Amino acid sequence: MNAIELCNITKVYTRKNLFSTVHSTGVEHLDLAIRHGEIYGLLGLNGSGKTTAIKLILGLIMPTEGTVIVQGEKVPSPAVLRQIGFLPEAPYFYRYLTAREILTMYGNLSQIDNVSESVERMLVQVGLEDAADKKLEEFSKGMLQRIGIAQSLLHNPVILVYDEPLSGLDPLAMQVMATVLLDLKRQGKTILFSSHRIAIVEKICDRVAILSRGSLVRVLEQPEWAQASGELERIFIADVAASSELGRIKLP
Amino acid sequence: MTTFFSVAYYTFIENIRKKIFYGLILFGGVMMGASVLLSVLGGQQTLRILLDLGSSAIEFFALLGVGFSAVTLILEEMESKTIYLILTRPVSRFHYLTGRYAGLLMALYAGMLAMALMHVSLLLFNGWVFHARYVLSLFLSAEKILVVGSVALFFSLFSSSAVSSLSFTVFFWILGHFSGEINYLGTQIPSLAGKLAIGIFYYVIPNMQYFNLRDFWDVPQVMGNWVWLSFAYGCAYSAVFILLTVMLFKRKEF
Repeated sequence: MNAIELCNITKVYTRKNLFSTVHSTGVEHLDLAIRHGEIYGLLGLNGSGKTTAIKLILGLIMPTEGTVIVQGEKVPSPAVLRQIGFLPEAPYFYRYLTAREILTMYGNLSQIDNVSESVERMLVQVGLEDAADKKLEEFSKGMLQRIGIAQSLLHNPVILVYDEPLSGLDPLAMQVMATVLLDLKRQGKTILFSSHRIAIVEKICDRVAILSRGSLVRVLEQPEWAQASGELERIFIADVAASSELGRIKLP
Repeated sequence: MTTFFSVAYYTFIENIRKKIFYGLILFGGVMMGASVLLSVLGGQQTLRILLDLGSSAIEFFALLGVGFSAVTLILEEMESKTIYLILTRPVSRFHYLTGRYAGLLMALYAGMLAMALMHVSLLLFNGWVFHARYVLSLFLSAEKILVVGSVALFFSLFSSSAVSSLSFTVFFWILGHFSGEINYLGTQIPSLAGKLAIGIFYYVIPNMQYFNLRDFWDVPQVMGNWVWLSFAYGCAYSAVFILLTVMLFKRKEF
C-alpha cells in the first residue's frame, strides 16, 4: 500500500460569470503514487497543477474524475486529515493570537490528547519558546515559517504535505528547511512537497514528479539525477520548456 | 463539540484584540456623551432623550460591527488562506462556520455590554431609576444583531463579494423596518400573483419591528409574551439563514 495515490485524476475548475461559464483544467488524468517514508518532490512551472494536486490530496477541492487514496482511505475523510500535516505556501495565521494560543487552537482542532504539553514541546522544538506569548503580528517571516512547521507537526502526522515550503526564504532559512525535511524523513514520515528550488529538491528528494500544464511528464528516481550536479535542472528544463505558454520577452 | 468551542473561543479572542473593536465602543461612548448635550433641549424629557439616544447608539454601533465583521468573517479567511489550516484538520464545516459566527457574536455582545454599562452609569448619574425593561430591550437589540449577522454571513458566501453582501444586508435591514408597510401593500394589490410575491417577500425579510422594545418604554402592556416570541422568531430566522449558509459553505472549494 502506498501512502498517497492519485488515480486518473482530472480536475476541471468552473467559473460562472454573469453571462458565461469558464472552464479551466487544473490537472488531467494524473496518476501519482507516493511510497511510505520517502521525500517526493513535485516540480513544475506556475500553473502546472502542483497546488491543485496538493489540494486534492487534502480534500480542499474535489476531483472531477478519479480517486485520491491516502493511507488506504478515500479522500475526503476526517481519518485521513488526522494523519496529514499541511504547510501552505506563505502561511497566514490569526495575527492577534499569540504563538501559544494559535498552536493550542490547532491542537484542539486536530483533537489530540494533552494539547498544552504538545504545544510546549513543539515551541521548544522550533525554537520559539521565548516568543510563545508574543502576538503573531510581531513575528518575522522566518518565525512565522517556524509556526507553520510547528502546526504541521503538532498532531504527529505520518504524512507531511508542504506546498512551496522554500518560497520567499533566505538561503540560510532554506538550508534549515531542507535539514528539517531530512530529519522528518529519518523519523519515518512520508513527505510530499512542491518547489521551484531545484538545487534543494535534487539534494533531498528520493523521487520527483515533473508536471506540465496539468499532466504528469515523468517520474524520476534519485539515481537518475544523482550522477551529475545540475542534472535534474537540465532534465526539468528540457521537459517543460516546450510546454510553456508564454513566449519570449522581446526587449528593444 | 471541542472543535466548535475552540473555533468560537479563539475567534472571540481575535476579535476583542482588534483596534476596531475598541473604536466602536469609543464611538458609542462619544455618542452617549453627545446625548447629554442634546438632552438639554429636551426640557422635561431629559432622561427620555438620554435613554433613547444611548440605546440607539449601542444598537447602531453593534449593527455596524456585525455588518462589516460578518461579511468578511469567512471571505477574509478565504482570501488570506488561513482557512486552509483549519479545513485540513478533522473539523466539520458546520462546526467551523457556526464556531466562527458564535465567536464573532460573543465579541460584539461584549462590546454591547461595555457600551450598556457606560450608558446605565450615565443614566443613573442623571437620576434615572433602573428598570428591568432596559435589560430586555438590550436583549432584543442583541437578537437583532444575531439576525442581521446571519443574513450578512449568508450573503457573503452567496455573492463572494464583501461590497455586494454588505449592500444586500443593509437592504434587508432597512426593509425589515417596513414589514408592516410591505404587508399592507400586499393587501392593496388586486392580482393574486402580486399578492403571492409580496407575501413571500414579507416572510423572507426579517421583521425588525419585533426587536424594537425600546420604542415602547411607556407602554407596559406591550411586554407580556413579546420578548419571548421575538426571541423565538429571531432564533428561528437566524437558524434558517445559518443552515442555508452551511449548505453553501459545504459546496465551496478552496
